[in-house]
Amino acid sequence: MSYTNKEDIIQIDHLLFQYQQEETKETVTAIKDVSFTLKRGSFTAIIGRNGSGKSTLAKNINALLLPTEGTVYVNGYDTRDKDHLWEIRQSAGMVFQNPDNQLVSSIVEDDVAFGPENLGIEPQEIRRRVDEALKKVNMYQHRKRSPHHLSGGQKQRVAIAGVVAMRPECIILDEPTAMLDPKGRAQVMDIIHQLHQEGITIVLITHFMDEAAQADRIIIMDDGDVVLDGTPREVFLHGGKIRQLYLDVPFAVEMAEHLRDAGIDVPEDVIETPELVQYLCGDCVGTAIAAERCAATDTCPDGATDAAATPVVEVKHLRHVFSPGLPFESVALDDVNFTIEKNSFTALIGHTGSGKSTLIQHLNGLLKPTDGSVWIDGENIGDGKVKLRDIRRKVGLVFQYPEYQLFEETVLKDVCYGPLNLGFSQEEAEARAKRAIELVGLDFEEVKDRSPFALSGGQKRRVAIAGVIAMEPEVLILDEPTAGLDPKSHRDILLMIETIKKEGGVTILLVSHNMGDVARLADRVLVMDGGRLWMNGTPHQVFSRAEELSEIGLGLPPATEFMYRLKLAGAPVDTSALTVQDALNAVLEWKRGEGPC
Amino acid sequence: MLRDITLGQYFPGESPIHRLDPRTKIIATMIYLLSLFFVNSFAGFGVALIFLAICVKISGVPMKFMLKGLKTIFLIVIFTFLLNVFMTPGTVLWSFGFLRVTREGLYTGVFMVVRLALLIVGSSLLTLATKPISLTDGIEALLRPLQRFGVPAHEVAMMMSIALRFIPTLLDETDKIMKAQMARGADFESGNLLQRAKSLIPLLVPLFISAFRIAVELAMAMEARCYRGGENRTRLHPMAYGKGDRVAAVVLVIYLLILAGLRFIM
Repeated sequence: MSYTNKEDIIQIDHLLFQYQQEETKETVTAIKDVSFTLKRGSFTAIIGRNGSGKSTLAKNINALLLPTEGTVYVNGYDTRDKDHLWEIRQSAGMVFQNPDNQLVSSIVEDDVAFGPENLGIEPQEIRRRVDEALKKVNMYQHRKRSPHHLSGGQKQRVAIAGVVAMRPECIILDEPTAMLDPKGRAQVMDIIHQLHQEGITIVLITHFMDEAAQADRIIIMDDGDVVLDGTPREVFLHGGKIRQLYLDVPFAVEMAEHLRDAGIDVPEDVIETPELVQYLCGDCVGTAIAAERCAATDTCPDGATDAAATPVVEVKHLRHVFSPGLPFESVALDDVNFTIEKNSFTALIGHTGSGKSTLIQHLNGLLKPTDGSVWIDGENIGDGKVKLRDIRRKVGLVFQYPEYQLFEETVLKDVCYGPLNLGFSQEEAEARAKRAIELVGLDFEEVKDRSPFALSGGQKRRVAIAGVIAMEPEVLILDEPTAGLDPKSHRDILLMIETIKKEGGVTILLVSHNMGDVARLADRVLVMDGGRLWMNGTPHQVFSRAEELSEIGLGLPPATEFMYRLKLAGAPVDTSALTVQDALNAVLEWKRGEGPC
Repeated sequence: MLRDITLGQYFPGESPIHRLDPRTKIIATMIYLLSLFFVNSFAGFGVALIFLAICVKISGVPMKFMLKGLKTIFLIVIFTFLLNVFMTPGTVLWSFGFLRVTREGLYTGVFMVVRLALLIVGSSLLTLATKPISLTDGIEALLRPLQRFGVPAHEVAMMMSIALRFIPTLLDETDKIMKAQMARGADFESGNLLQRAKSLIPLLVPLFISAFRIAVELAMAMEARCYRGGENRTRLHPMAYGKGDRVAAVVLVIYLLILAGLRFIM
């Protein structure tokens, strides 16, 4: 078949893509017989779990990879046609996942100019395009800065500007928000919408269902094949099938399903929370006063702290100043006070730069307080008598993207590294490694002699976490352990953390941007803002302050947000729900005519 | 901790020196450095010193930054001085045991120190008053004529600019990995040399892997943005000689004439 319809910017005909795996020399089929077309000016989201072939597909559109069989046409050109390679790459630009590893130059504007320079465009025209592109992504005021001083979201916007400056007709974004915090993610999504409105065709590969729901078409891939293809409304009708593929559905879809099961009539094509709220609340203006009264008398037992509980971590007047005395001195932490009780599950939230990372590095002595003290198990770790090795044994710290710290030839050796450093014998270290590997949910016999680098992304992360757990710490700190994972690995890691807590009798401190996870798992929440501890309370207490949280750049768990929206629309409901189940119960109580109290 | 290292030593500014074409600055600096070897009298050094002082003044870079470069090689300067003072044969001024200070020694010592200091400060001015990125552009342009003899001018410049871009990234990465391994009980500071070298493996292996990952991803991203080497490439900031460069050339010629004149007279 040849290129047929001029309306289609991309036409994929029976695409088959195979490659040879380096280790085993086996032929792997990454994409099997995929055909579809993309209309000019459309906005398509491609979702699918890791290894489903999404990224391979994207690279085939940009001619970074060429089909084994079948054909890909971009703007009428066959991607195999070497004479038009540059036209293809210019008209279908690509933005990648890692904001750092796609910027070439040490000055923002020079980086944006990189593409046009490669195309041999006149300097004056490059200047015009660079300025225009930077203004479009709202980065013009940063044009002279160095990328390494920018936040992840800003870098990603520069990367988008770099593609925009090439005047593409289509932009393919391969998980552009996976490594960003919620604020950066929102900014990037805004830019994507704006570009779409200007007529650019968008292909967005993502793991976030709320992002996919914003597209006008969703293609779900699994095992190298297209499984579902349609508008978000059509696709999310198949909630069951999507879950079978280990993917998520948006909150509103899940909620609507539950409501239907409970006998409340909700149309099937609801996919966004505001729609659901509007549907449920068509006639409830004026009844909100009752709820107001209830909220006032709401006596949550959460506030009380158990006097008998023993603190395992105590932080007193902690202050940390970076580069004191120098012109770029900055106060990262200021007068932070809190305690963490034994066997509790505490979440630490706050936007990027609020001091979370600095704080957790104090808890195992990687950073020393400028002022104040940190006490572990009743000992001040800064008084010089306590050995750092003992602190590291008691407090395990798993950094973000911990798989990047793996280094040994085999999984067993890597996991043994910590215990051996602590001075345990080889046998004891291996025994601990075995326990740890099993605790993170891997088959010890199967993985122990394999290279950690040959494992999948989710497995690598488990091995890295096992490397810390093998030290059998009393307190386990995890810095965004689910960052960048697909929905299935995300869920698996959370389950693993719950198992570790239950079976290992460990106190957990979880740093997270995912409010849904925080609401579901934590029994206490520490909120950081601008280097200060903004709040320390139960999830109920913290998430009841919705407006203030949004002022410091934090969101709500989807269920809580849903209840807030209901209440704002006038429904007499109480907004303390943290999980889907809570929200469902609250809505049912209201709908069945019982008072919310 | 590693993050605090500042790379390169560019001092931002808009002075006439900053605005010169990088090629002019590179060539002028090279000529200036060579001229220092041509000088054989203190009067000559006086001229060289005045010339450099005027350039520094125009550039607006504080003297403090200029002398920073000297500080790092302070020991070498002292050593050169002492070596010359004690080892040059000639009229003995003063002696203590086997140490002999000669008039010629003192003269050569001072001579060498002045020359070294001017060399360092002169080349510092180039790096202080030129953006690293323009410096690579300048080097690329100057190497281009050698391309027909197989010198990969564009590739060398591209490598240098990518290095500039990624050194801070790799330093951050090193910092992260180091902390992660320390959290697993690693000790990078104690033990003998062999133990310390061994303790670096858990740092270096992940670092190399990161570097390779970055390289693969960056190469892919560059290709996606139509990178195909130096051919037919245009630049956002094309280099062009301006009035400033012509003035600089004239000033440099005058400086060289004065030096030659001095040498002829003395």
